[in-house]
Amino acid sequence: MARPHIEPFCDRDVNFKGMRLPGFAPGMSYKMLSFDVDTGACSMTVQLDGGYRQKPGFSWSEYEMMVIEGELQVGARTCRKGHYFFVPAGYSMPEISSAQGCLLLMMYNSGEPSHEEATEHHALAQTDLYHDVDSYLDIPWVVGNITKPSVASGCMIKLLNYNPLSHAMTFLYCMTPAFYQDNISYHDCAEESYHLWGTSWMMQFGEIPTGGYFWRPAYINHGAFASEFGCIALGRTDSKLFNYFHYNPWSNPVENADRAEARIYQRDPLLYKWMLSKDHNHPHSPKDFEQTMVRRGDELGHDTKHKSDGHRHDHWHGHHHHDHDNEHHHG
Amino acid sequence: MSFKNLFIEHDISPEAKAWVQEEIAEQEERYRKIEKQMADLEPMREKWYQEFFDRLTTTGFSADGDMKVKIKPEELPVKPKEHKDQVIWKYGTDSVD
Repeated sequence: MARPHIEPFCDRDVNFKGMRLPGFAPGMSYKMLSFDVDTGACSMTVQLDGGYRQKPGFSWSEYEMMVIEGELQVGARTCRKGHYFFVPAGYSMPEISSAQGCLLLMMYNSGEPSHEEATEHHALAQTDLYHDVDSYLDIPWVVGNITKPSVASGCMIKLLNYNPLSHAMTFLYCMTPAFYQDNISYHDCAEESYHLWGTSWMMQFGEIPTGGYFWRPAYINHGAFASEFGCIALGRTDSKLFNYFHYNPWSNPVENADRAEARIYQRDPLLYKWMLSKDHNHPHSPKDFEQTMVRRGDELGHDTKHKSDGHRHDHWHGHHHHDHDNEHHHG
Repeated sequence: MSFKNLFIEHDISPEAKAWVQEEIAEQEERYRKIEKQMADLEPMREKWYQEFFDRLTTTGFSADGDMKVKIKPEELPVKPKEHKDQVIWKYGTDSVD
């Protein structure tokens, strides 16, 4: 089920609500942008009142955060608009405060928002994944042709986070004034966007202004595209972004997915046949020997099992593997 | 969706469970509103589609980057008979009848 198609939505059209979840300090309010009905993962515009103060602690879910307006004090550092954080689950952040108040974009990726007071990281936290950057000042814009076929020139990006296995990305993107691209696109991945500033237009959905947002499941048509005066937005995908361009506005998601499958057949026929020739589809994923082979470190008692973000760490997340004849469960 | 990333199993408090249910209900309401707004946009969208086809045959289709390919009028798609205009698909492929 996951998150439904929310497009377009503008957070300026609704009021802030006080955050009532346990653990969060008073003075935090939010506007829900999209919500995963299975896991509680969500994206929110968050307002911290002047004088807000959150004690050090961690979240059970990893989350991403961007300062939209104002100043956020993170420990001894002052972070201004455009500052981006990737915070792994269990990673203890220092005290967070805002003297004058600020506006944030917060995205919890794998569970409902949570805050556990702690001055130390959780034992299972992948602390090496943490990173933050002033995305406005410390990263240059690059052309948006990170995938082929690519967007038209005038759409540029700054990559903020990248999952080496799933190829999921978080990025800033901008459209220059008078940008346009005359095609319809869809992807194999879900796509999310929040307009930090400016307005863009898509042929199916009309204009998305400042504060505009979408969460779009895979294989849904979007485009043609245009922006009269330009825009800057934060975008995310949950796996690899590939642009399937076409010009039939009446195709539906199943027809689009079938076309994507046909393209694999045309482009990688041997791989396609190999995948279909399997008489048993493992419910987790096909076996990747790099993720399962015995490694020398295993014999020394170190858990080297692969995890989905490309790092190795303890196998904490409770998979119970059974014989293939039986059901599979996740703990 | 799946970001396929880290999550640490934990007990979820009754308050958090109630909050989740409340957000699910509010999102459902938000979704219905968007669905109606997008259905109401159909007449304008039909015009946009026609303008799009006009540009494809004159200035061209954006095939890759700035490479544009003019589409012959006879290559344009035909609108399926009894087509229901729909651009919002709640759960993507799972929402196609």
